[in-house]
Amino acid sequence: MTNPEPLVMLHQARCVAGGRTLLQLPSWALHAGERVAIVGHNGAGKSTLIKLLTGFMPPASGTVQVLGHALHQPLSPARLRALRSEVGQVLQGLHLVGRLSAQDNVLLGALGRMGQAGGWNAWRSCLRWFPPHEVALARQALERVGMAAHAHTRADRLSGGERQKTALARLLMQRPRLILADEPTAALDPAAATEVCQLLAGAAAATGATLVTVVHNTALLPLLADRVVGLSQGQLVFDMPVGQVTETQLASLYRPEPFQEPAHA
Amino acid sequence: MNPALNPPLAPSRGRFGFLLLVLAYAAVVVVCLWTLVAAGDLSVGRNPWENLLKSVGEFARPSFLDVWFGPERLEFRSDDGTLLRVEDRRAVEASYLAGLARATWITFQIATLGSLLAAVLALPLGLLSARNLRAPRPLAWAASTVLDVSRAIHTLVFGLVLVGIVGLGPTAGILAIALHSMGTYGKLYAESIETLDMGAIDAVRATGATPTQVFFTAVWPSVLPQFVSNHLYVWEYNIRDSTILGLIGAGGLGLLISEATSLFQWDRLATVLLVVIALVVSFDAMSRRIRKALL
Repeated sequence: MTNPEPLVMLHQARCVAGGRTLLQLPSWALHAGERVAIVGHNGAGKSTLIKLLTGFMPPASGTVQVLGHALHQPLSPARLRALRSEVGQVLQGLHLVGRLSAQDNVLLGALGRMGQAGGWNAWRSCLRWFPPHEVALARQALERVGMAAHAHTRADRLSGGERQKTALARLLMQRPRLILADEPTAALDPAAATEVCQLLAGAAAATGATLVTVVHNTALLPLLADRVVGLSQGQLVFDMPVGQVTETQLASLYRPEPFQEPAHA
Repeated sequence: MNPALNPPLAPSRGRFGFLLLVLAYAAVVVVCLWTLVAAGDLSVGRNPWENLLKSVGEFARPSFLDVWFGPERLEFRSDDGTLLRVEDRRAVEASYLAGLARATWITFQIATLGSLLAAVLALPLGLLSARNLRAPRPLAWAASTVLDVSRAIHTLVFGLVLVGIVGLGPTAGILAIALHSMGTYGKLYAESIETLDMGAIDAVRATGATPTQVFFTAVWPSVLPQFVSNHLYVWEYNIRDSTILGLIGAGGLGLLISEATSLFQWDRLATVLLVVIALVVSFDAMSRRIRKALL
């Protein structure tokens, strides 16, 4: 890649909630165009890492640089919004605004840039009155994920896979530099999961965005990532190319700590 | 002892507890009845059957029928046969119907304006008391207290107080409806907001949208249909409620009800009640259809 400066840079970052350390990373960097998968058991700190990178959870100590924004310092709301508009998120649940059509949901991806443009554009976006070129982009995005036929269907009438595809179209609409997907296939059946993963990888490739995905299904790893990061109990266990990760390494992440304390009924 | 032995005991204790509750309820009912009987207050008057039959008989012939079938020359004579006055029953009842229409309109005005005022007043209170919006604790507490108090006090009580403040007439009725319904609206608003899909709102926030954009594009479209549905429901309820506000001098149909009952004109009361029923039932049907279409 042409940009030598890493997109994401963490140093001695520590996240604490309720007196418990959720995540502690000595040093970690992510370069433009990389595709990284984060694996680990529940509570390993995967979602915390995603929240850390979008400024939804500030670090208790250490430094966090994302797309040139220093997240360890208090950011102004406007800076935070500028960061979020460049970071596309796909969340665990199938979170669309239920009463809006699929196309309107996709258009919400344009809110970030319209809000930053200020003035008239910011106001008309509140009325969901989008300029024709944004509507055309939304149609293209829907077509890309194979949802053009459902453009005017209300989001709460769509199936799980269709909703996640609509969320991906919203992501394409947003054109982020960094995509963070937190278990994007958690609520989907295997066939839909594979399709959504292919579309997600395609979306990242099409926009040249860096892709960070949290996955539980290790079969999907090669689809989504070139590099795999293993987390366990908030600590980095391994960070290596996807081809070198062995089954035993993956299995060790998900194995519960044996005989640590007697199980409670 | 072994805690595993406790669960099998719990259901029987639950059944016993329920039996105790039933016994306590029976005791309350018996005490209420007994004290009334002991005080001699549980009487039904001297000739209840005769009165009932008379009332039912008059009810069965509502006064509005006289507009078409009443005598055009009803003569009132004194005991010695001198003609005191002649009444055109048709004209009298027609003018009564015109008054009834005016009163119905006033009742509708009171319910409509009172509901709208309540809906507006309750909006900030509902927003403050919705738990998932996490308003500052003291403000949230104050808002829900105001809502509880306004729900606890009956419209008629507000009306009685307000008639003393703003005088007789629809203004007192509108304000009474507004103050009581504010509590209902606030609670319904807060409940609609609490059932919002916060994930969807976070997802829109995550695109870098400003709070104003998030509100208008994610929160507003989700809650608006519920707000409209709540509004229709309370409005409908208030149309029913405002028909008795006239009893305390706030104008409208209640005034005619109070007039008819104090003069024992059951035929006129029947006419008024038919109008009340028609008004409530037709509004009910309309609002139910609109609410169904919205959801």
